[in-house]
Amino acid sequence: MKNFTLGLLLIATCWFAAYAAHGAELKAPERIEAGAGLSISAGGNGEATLYLVGPAGAVKREIKLGGDIKIAPEEVQNAGKYVVMVRTGDSTSSASFWVMPAQPARMSFIARPSRLPVALSNGISGVVYPFDKFHNLIVQPQPVTFKLSVGEAQATSRTVTTRNGVAWISLDSSRKVGPAQFVATVGEVSERRVVQQMAADPCNLRIKAQPSKQGVEVETDLIRDCSGNPVPDGTIVTFTAVSPKGKSSVDARIKKGVAKTELPNLQEATISVASGVVMGNEIRWGGSR
Amino acid sequence: MKTLVVALAIALLAGFSASPAYADDAQLPNVQLNADNGGGRPVEELTKKALARDYAKAWRALAQALEQNRADLIGNDFTGIAEEKYAAAVAGQAKAGLRTRYVDRGHKVDVLFYSPEGLSIELRDTAQLERQVLDGDKVIQSEQVTRHYIALMTPTEVRWKVRLLQEVPGQ
Repeated sequence: MKNFTLGLLLIATCWFAAYAAHGAELKAPERIEAGAGLSISAGGNGEATLYLVGPAGAVKREIKLGGDIKIAPEEVQNAGKYVVMVRTGDSTSSASFWVMPAQPARMSFIARPSRLPVALSNGISGVVYPFDKFHNLIVQPQPVTFKLSVGEAQATSRTVTTRNGVAWISLDSSRKVGPAQFVATVGEVSERRVVQQMAADPCNLRIKAQPSKQGVEVETDLIRDCSGNPVPDGTIVTFTAVSPKGKSSVDARIKKGVAKTELPNLQEATISVASGVVMGNEIRWGGSR
Repeated sequence: MKTLVVALAIALLAGFSASPAYADDAQLPNVQLNADNGGGRPVEELTKKALARDYAKAWRALAQALEQNRADLIGNDFTGIAEEKYAAAVAGQAKAGLRTRYVDRGHKVDVLFYSPEGLSIELRDTAQLERQVLDGDKVIQSEQVTRHYIALMTPTEVRWKVRLLQEVPGQ
């Protein structure tokens, strides 16, 4: 009989301990959206200390048990795993939940370069990292639309889905000079960058020569790139004359689309023209002309 | 005998000159960086080494800042929003009388993306950590965890800094 009573007592003690432990159990949602706030149900009664340990630090405050524990939206703005603990005396109950990034609200859009020649294959790159309003990187796949346009010309548009929170693209520069509008859009958010498209190297660089008072006047035709865009004024063009007396060079800037110079005291020479890495035609002046 | 003494002296001098850097690196968490499968531009060997070193330094700084509640330790290795977030976190837990201690057991880091213009690099880190939360000097929570992070790093004048360090669910 005594053993039976002791056994009952032991069972009752265990049941009470289990009940008490169950009473302190915390029930948290598995995941919430950043900045949404949440309620965690906590059994028991009396006062306790709440600890909320997140990916970027921890907070602590006193609470009363027996109802819902409110976690304020501003306490769960950083994406990551959170652990909530309730401590009463020497016992601690805990639960964990994930805070996931909210909807796209901003983006980091890196467009390079700021200026480049026209018709350059894969010359323009765009990289987008989408963020929510709490600066959490949105790692769930998001469609990002990249659009590149110059003036009234038809825009180039492509959609790339983010992977691990990043979308990127390489685009050819168009064949027309001018400020290209490079726009990235994710959700309701758009960002614009300007990429200045310049004329490329001269194409079919040609010169003509005629006698002048001092010697020979050499002038280029209208200088354009291979897409037909005028090469900008100020671009350096080099004229070179090779004669029995030696070699001489003159640098001239393009002005109103052409470059010209005067080569003095030139009787017999081979005259050539170049701009950057581009060579033009040659003229034989005097002698065998 | 004379040659032996000279050799010993040279060895000692070499040891002294190397010891500060060695001591500094010895305290860094172990970071194994794999750049073989990333997108974007290829990562050069020197860049890989610099990234691994600077990412390890960032974790050491973060651990020290959260344990000592010193936000001033963050700025050398973090920038932008990451610097702001972790500085705020340190201030918040200091106000509550809490500290967080990380025992860093190492990081396996994969390069996910290196941007074509070289201004950002994205990493995925699988970190083995022991995290202790202390209220005053009392440990209120201790756990061994495997955590996954996405990190964005950006080059500054002399080093790579962490622009974002975000915990993500494991794959």
